[in-house]
Amino acid sequence: MACNTRNKYPAQVFNNENHRLNLYGDNVEVDYRGYEVTVENFLRVLTGRHETAVPRSKRLLSDEGSHILLYMTGHGGDEFLKFQDSEELQSHDLADAVKQMKEKHRFKELLIMVDTCQAATLFNQLQSPGVLAIGSSMKGENSYSHHLDSDVGVSVVDRFTYYTLAFFERLNIYDNASLSSLFSSYNPSLLMSTAYYRKDLYKRRLEEVPVTNFFGSVMETIHTDAAYKALSRRNSGRFEDEMSLDQSVHHIERRMLIKVNDGYEIHDINPEGEEGASKCPWSTFRNKFQKAENVDSLVNYGLVAMIPLLVISTWLVQ
Amino acid sequence: MAETKEKSLSDEKPKPRVRPIVRLGIFLISHSFHVSVVCCTAGVLALFLLPVLAKNTYISENALMPGSASPMLSNQHVSDGNRLVKDLTNPNSKSSETGIESHKIIAQYMLDLGAEVSFHKFHPQMNQFHPLHFFSSPDSGKIQENYSCSSYGINTVGIIRAPRGDGKEAIVLVTPYNALKSGFGEALSLGIAYSVFSLLTQVTWLAKDIIWLVADSQYGEYAAVAAWLREYQTPKFSSLSAPNAEMCPDVNNLFELKGHSISGSKFSNSFRRAGTMAAALVLKVRDQNEQFEDTISIYAEASNGQMPNLDLINVVNYLAVHRQGLRVNVEKLWSLLNSSWLKSLGEIFESLAKVAKSLYPKWKFGIPATEYVEGTATLASSLYYQALGVPTGPHGAFRDYQVDAITLEISPKFSLDKVWRNDILLRGGRLIEGVIRSVNNLLEKFHQSFFLYLLTSPSKFVSVGVYMIAFALLIAPLPMVAASLYVDANSSSKRSKGDSSTPSAITDTDEHSIAIRSWRWLNSAKLVFIVHLWGAIVSLLPYFISQIPDCSPTTSFMIWVLLSILSLLTLNSVLASPLACAKATQEKEWALVKSVTISSVFIGLGLMSVINFATAEIGALLMVPMCLLAQPLKLDVRAGTLRSFCRMICNLVLGHIAFPPAAFFLLKGMLDGFGNANVGDFWMWVESLWAWNSATYLFIGMVQLPCWVLCISILFHTC
Repeated sequence: MACNTRNKYPAQVFNNENHRLNLYGDNVEVDYRGYEVTVENFLRVLTGRHETAVPRSKRLLSDEGSHILLYMTGHGGDEFLKFQDSEELQSHDLADAVKQMKEKHRFKELLIMVDTCQAATLFNQLQSPGVLAIGSSMKGENSYSHHLDSDVGVSVVDRFTYYTLAFFERLNIYDNASLSSLFSSYNPSLLMSTAYYRKDLYKRRLEEVPVTNFFGSVMETIHTDAAYKALSRRNSGRFEDEMSLDQSVHHIERRMLIKVNDGYEIHDINPEGEEGASKCPWSTFRNKFQKAENVDSLVNYGLVAMIPLLVISTWLVQ
Repeated sequence: MAETKEKSLSDEKPKPRVRPIVRLGIFLISHSFHVSVVCCTAGVLALFLLPVLAKNTYISENALMPGSASPMLSNQHVSDGNRLVKDLTNPNSKSSETGIESHKIIAQYMLDLGAEVSFHKFHPQMNQFHPLHFFSSPDSGKIQENYSCSSYGINTVGIIRAPRGDGKEAIVLVTPYNALKSGFGEALSLGIAYSVFSLLTQVTWLAKDIIWLVADSQYGEYAAVAAWLREYQTPKFSSLSAPNAEMCPDVNNLFELKGHSISGSKFSNSFRRAGTMAAALVLKVRDQNEQFEDTISIYAEASNGQMPNLDLINVVNYLAVHRQGLRVNVEKLWSLLNSSWLKSLGEIFESLAKVAKSLYPKWKFGIPATEYVEGTATLASSLYYQALGVPTGPHGAFRDYQVDAITLEISPKFSLDKVWRNDILLRGGRLIEGVIRSVNNLLEKFHQSFFLYLLTSPSKFVSVGVYMIAFALLIAPLPMVAASLYVDANSSSKRSKGDSSTPSAITDTDEHSIAIRSWRWLNSAKLVFIVHLWGAIVSLLPYFISQIPDCSPTTSFMIWVLLSILSLLTLNSVLASPLACAKATQEKEWALVKSVTISSVFIGLGLMSVINFATAEIGALLMVPMCLLAQPLKLDVRAGTLRSFCRMICNLVLGHIAFPPAAFFLLKGMLDGFGNANVGDFWMWVESLWAWNSATYLFIGMVQLPCWVLCISILFHTC
């Protein structure tokens, strides 16, 4: 996490060893951090079942028109994703939460991206229509970190996340890239795992769906005639100006950071410490820091690298 | 035997089917001889197999990430460290008689870095045996004796606060330093610590405070660290000792000088604290070294065989080997390295593994014979030091407060040129930096890896799940043999009575006598209880003997032996006299005594294995064969067969070996040679055991010694 005391560069997060791109911009919001990141809170956010005292900023305020991106990373395994050291989210839990969301009309389209070992297994139980899911690896495969930043002392980014970010960096704001072009951009030899996407629940053809449906987009703001007419027009203008894919989300009402702590597995240390080395545990071992860790773990770099991509709910058509 | 009894019971009234588990139990008990032979052999064999079964260590806690950050310690820091080494070895600094000058220099250096500095003065506490202090936590209330001003030590403590940390946690770095007669090694260890310390004042990534403790080792390294820890963990609010120390002019002088020269700085007279300790490293540099490589030795055993979390050792091992190119050592029993029988055993295992592999290629458990010998030597020393229950260095003081700590001793290949010195400062410093950075990454306590393990090399370990098997096999026959002996004694006496009485058999009186007979074991239990009571008394005797002034170890030992024998005779005459008259009626009494003895040994060993596994394992190796084999010599002589003769010889040999002092001298002779053995040594050894509150002492006094006495009494039983 950017503000963790273990971070050598306070309040900065990089996607790369060269430290050129600081991903922790001025407009990043983190709503749940450290020990707040639990399976319970995660499910509450998804299903919208909060205590009455929970502020609006910590809720996912979406409706049946919303497009939601759910981006998760951490230590995963066969049909589970580890949260903290002590608990895990199972594929059944996720499927159940998504089903509840569907019943409660909390989304129109949901894109779940998972960057963990055996990520594809997490989607096995999903049944709700309108859900599109992509994972970094198939069952039995590991996901690897991209490289170790020996200055910071952690691997700052995972391969899947790194190449996702690279894809968006290549686009300019007027590109009309489709989801299928994103999905086909993953090269198994670069990822060292096979990205898998499940689209049987998603009715539209991927070639026709622009990535901007889920990732930061130029929005059409429909404003009503009201006392703040002038102001709102100015706002919408600003939106268009500042819209860019890499900084995607700052105009969006809701941003959520789902941090997942991975963890408990026993693994060998690879003495060479080569990037993308042999084992999943090794990669998670590094990823641990880079992704969601505890409250203040420096290691959330990878996570923050995804912040731009993180859960976004957009009000498209009202 | 048991079967016949079973049969006779079932004759009396037809019973429903016996449950399988009961049948299994009866089967085992009736074949207890074979079972015990198989189990004991397997237990010993399993112990020798442990080096083969050892697994490679791995870093269990994800957060540690050793070596993923490149070291930041630069030549600038090394030259800082060098400066301190020069100042300390400068003859001017040694002019002062109390060595205060050196402490001032160190404190000044720390202050220059911007660290908080304080002096901690302490009076060395003599470890004294007190029967009630076993297992009790060290308390601060002990200090009430009046000390002279001449004997106090000064620890210098520097603390770096983590710039963005919450101040709840700390990492401790300890360098023992004797200001009066410090060798070059000690100065060098201070230099390494200082270079790391100066780096850590600049870094931005600290999440835990860093405490650097320069422990004044003129009264022993352990005493200084323990005194500081006691003060740190158990603050005194109405202390008598503090004014005591303040009254000494020397100490006041020290503080005045400091206050004067560096007013307004971060120097403080009061005791400084940081957060709870996550881990502690004790750093030493050895003066002389015969080795041709830079090596680093890890000492981990704390009191009562407690070990620090294996992850801490793993981190040090990983960084030293893969990052700094140092060779890592753990303690070995060197005498075992050249033993030929161990080598041939290793070769046997190796060839067995080859055969197994040729049969089924996936079986890969063999290790080369040389590796086996080294593994066994390391394992033996690991067992030995854990069994002793005495910490192997100042790190033991930390373990008493549940802080994971190890001692690192760097032994550089010795040469005096400057390049070499810089090199050792750089590599040692980077190693320490790496370990601290790794521990700094830790979010909670060390909890992932093992606490119960034996090392067979710095990178191989045997976990509790594996080594318990050997122990369990060894003690498994005990309850079976006890049960079988009990059944045997009851049924045989019954049979003999049945033969003598009329065949009309079962009458009221007979049932009554059966009822009485089935409680006969209480007599034996009383005897065993008396002997254990005696064992407790013997364990307490040293407390009184140590009060006698001016007593040499040899005389103390003699007094102890005399008093022990005297107390045994007294107890026997007072409490056990009813036994003598009852004896006439009981032919198989020795079997019952043996049965109860074995049960009590089983309980004792079982309890001890929870407290200190290694002690229980070594104790079991000695006591189990002795208990199982014990049989009155008279019977063996009467039988006159070869088998009984062998048993007699075994009994006599075991009877000698298992006597605690004899076992001690044998072990000592094997390790150091028999030349310089002295009767007083045992006394000194025992003294060191109780000084360190070692549970091994209690085990010897209250389990092994009574067991030995009982076995001897069985051997010389008049039946």
